[in-house]
Amino acid sequence: MFFELNDKQKNFQKKVREIYEKEVNPLVDEYEKKQTFPKQLFRILGDYHLLLVKCPKEYGGPGMDKISECILTEELNRISIGIGAGVMVHGGLATDPILRHGSEEMKRKYLPPAVRGEKIGAFALTEPDAGSDASGIRTAAIRQGDGYRLNGSKTFITNGTICDFVTVAAYTDPTKRGKGINLFVVEREDKGFSVVRKLEKLGNHSSDTAELAFDDCYIPKERMIGEKEGGGLEQLEDTLKSGRITYGARSTGVGQAAFEKIFSYVKETKRYGDYLARSQAIRFLLAEIAMNIEVMRYFTFRGAWLFDQGIATMKDASMVKLFCTETLQKILKKSMSIQKEAGLIDENPIQRLLRDGRLFKITEGTSEIQHIVIARELGL
Amino acid sequence: MEFELSLEQKDIQRAAYEFAQKEFDPDLILELDSHHQFPHSIWKKASQLGFIGVHYPEEFGGQGLGLFENLLIIESFCKVDSGIGSALSLVDLGSEILLEFASHEQKKRWLTPLAKGEQQLSIAFGESEDENDISSISTIVKERGDGYLINGKKRFVWNTDLANSFITLCKDDKERLMTCIIERETQGLEIHSINKIGLRMLSFGDIDLKEIFIPSENIIGEIGKAAKYVKHYFQNSSLRFLAQALGTAQGAFDRGLQYAKQRVQFGRKLIEFQVIRHKLAEMAIGVEVMRLLIYRLAIDCDQRKMDPKFFWITKQEVGRRLIEIVDEALQIFGGYGYMVEQPVEHYFRDTWAIISKLGTEEELKDSIANELFVPISKKK
Repeated sequence: MFFELNDKQKNFQKKVREIYEKEVNPLVDEYEKKQTFPKQLFRILGDYHLLLVKCPKEYGGPGMDKISECILTEELNRISIGIGAGVMVHGGLATDPILRHGSEEMKRKYLPPAVRGEKIGAFALTEPDAGSDASGIRTAAIRQGDGYRLNGSKTFITNGTICDFVTVAAYTDPTKRGKGINLFVVEREDKGFSVVRKLEKLGNHSSDTAELAFDDCYIPKERMIGEKEGGGLEQLEDTLKSGRITYGARSTGVGQAAFEKIFSYVKETKRYGDYLARSQAIRFLLAEIAMNIEVMRYFTFRGAWLFDQGIATMKDASMVKLFCTETLQKILKKSMSIQKEAGLIDENPIQRLLRDGRLFKITEGTSEIQHIVIARELGL
Repeated sequence: MEFELSLEQKDIQRAAYEFAQKEFDPDLILELDSHHQFPHSIWKKASQLGFIGVHYPEEFGGQGLGLFENLLIIESFCKVDSGIGSALSLVDLGSEILLEFASHEQKKRWLTPLAKGEQQLSIAFGESEDENDISSISTIVKERGDGYLINGKKRFVWNTDLANSFITLCKDDKERLMTCIIERETQGLEIHSINKIGLRMLSFGDIDLKEIFIPSENIIGEIGKAAKYVKHYFQNSSLRFLAQALGTAQGAFDRGLQYAKQRVQFGRKLIEFQVIRHKLAEMAIGVEVMRLLIYRLAIDCDQRKMDPKFFWITKQEVGRRLIEIVDEALQIFGGYGYMVEQPVEHYFRDTWAIISKLGTEEELKDSIANELFVPISKKK
């Protein structure tokens, strides 16, 4: 048992921090204001090999492990949650199922350009009437000739407006609830695919979220992930597991950003003639925040390590997501409230973290869903 | 002891609620909020119907009722919309001081137009990041001819764009505090607007006072006694923010409940899940606790027997409950709650703006402790 990143990992951490500071940080304010993702960043981060980090070398990726992915996720989310969301979906949900279950031909077609950031991916599972209840989706893929015709609508799709391809969940057999689902890769140019509208959100303004529609959209059967009909949700199992651990790293990065901001705030701000940092209650608060960040970080790394060993259960992953995203909310709320009116200003960094970080309790399984999963896997 | 509203109070409450239901159009709310615009025509109508300044004496355009009745109106408004409700709540910020300490002439001149909906008023006290900290006031007033010259800077002033006059706090060369009215058109008054994340229908900003001349009839009360006026203002104006908090909490609860009754996941309505039921039960507890505390405080204020300890306890508990209730309401909505088109999204942002006026947990506890025990002397 060891509790330290090795030298290679530490160097990687240092390197990615420098890259994100140089390439991402200068874009954040501008694209938060524009309310769109800085699309050019995909190619830049692709050049650094920071998009699909777990993708093996044979498909152009660096073939790194989950721990490394958590290291870079923490660093990226420390700088921007919105940009972090777009990058995460591209490198995770959109491409991971292809990597895990796609045919050789499919992998060769989609992975290398995704690694380079030339093609941007999205992932579409959620529908207006099916959020937490993924089996409740209604999008249908009806067999026709050598392919499938997709009909349905998807919502809250990250990268929806900017994607070149989208991994879509649809029923090939609606009579088999939950079991009759397959994943398809739909390309932007496919007839019948459209972006209905871009959605405005509380936070994550530098990430694009959209409603998508599939209207008699014909997809050749080579673009179905896996060969058999059915089992699409099961194919997502490892991807979701990995994604939930990623939320531990995201929360740690955001917690770290909040800590850095609030640390300077209490040292610089005087109230009633004294610095806030001299107040015992405030000192205790910062001590607690610092402690919680450490706990989040090491709990996440443990989850990532289990994942790399191939022994992480969904319970392990859900615990990481639940604990870290909920702990983060406490950190953000406290950091926000001690600033009083100063925290309300558009330029205030903590209010942005609060608005952005609030989404962590909702996406990729709400906190309530994580509880359900954990309880079930405990054997209750 | 009675725990029921009188018939007259119920009528006021119902009238305010019906007015808000009729006038606060959901599309208009989204538009005003996103463009940072004040609800002009609604304000005009509200004042014509007597909803502004019900607690002013009849001779100054009011209805001679209490702060409690004013609170019932604000609560009802915010229940329908936190944004418009709060905007209407704060159009006469500072009237607390005029009502209590201004001369008859001054009331006629500055109070009556507020009730009629012809003018708006605001407060410009704070100079640091903390409005309550009046120990550091450095705005200087000097006698000149038949009036005074004022120089200084004021921070985080509300309603900067529309207030026709500002009640400000300054001190003379003998360190005596005084309050005076500065009218908007006065030469030397410079407003720097700041965009904020919540209550966006109300403007906000810093004000520079450069060689401002005011005639002596703009001085309120006596020079050297302003600390008392300021204290009175903070106590009584808190009722507005508390009323906004209460209405906002109730509105968030109502929306969460309504959504839980209609949203189906896993073949059941959300309201059929125990955890959701308990969430709503906890929110209902919160709303009741808030209401009892706030109503009692308002009645104490009207009877002029307010206990400062109870005042701080109320602010502390109300702030804590409001954050929890609105956060849980948003959670019940899931992904939809994060989208701007759902009102709960701006309830969340507005909540933080309201909270910023209630004081931080740490300073409120300091005040409560100082009231209960021997105050600690500050180490230098």
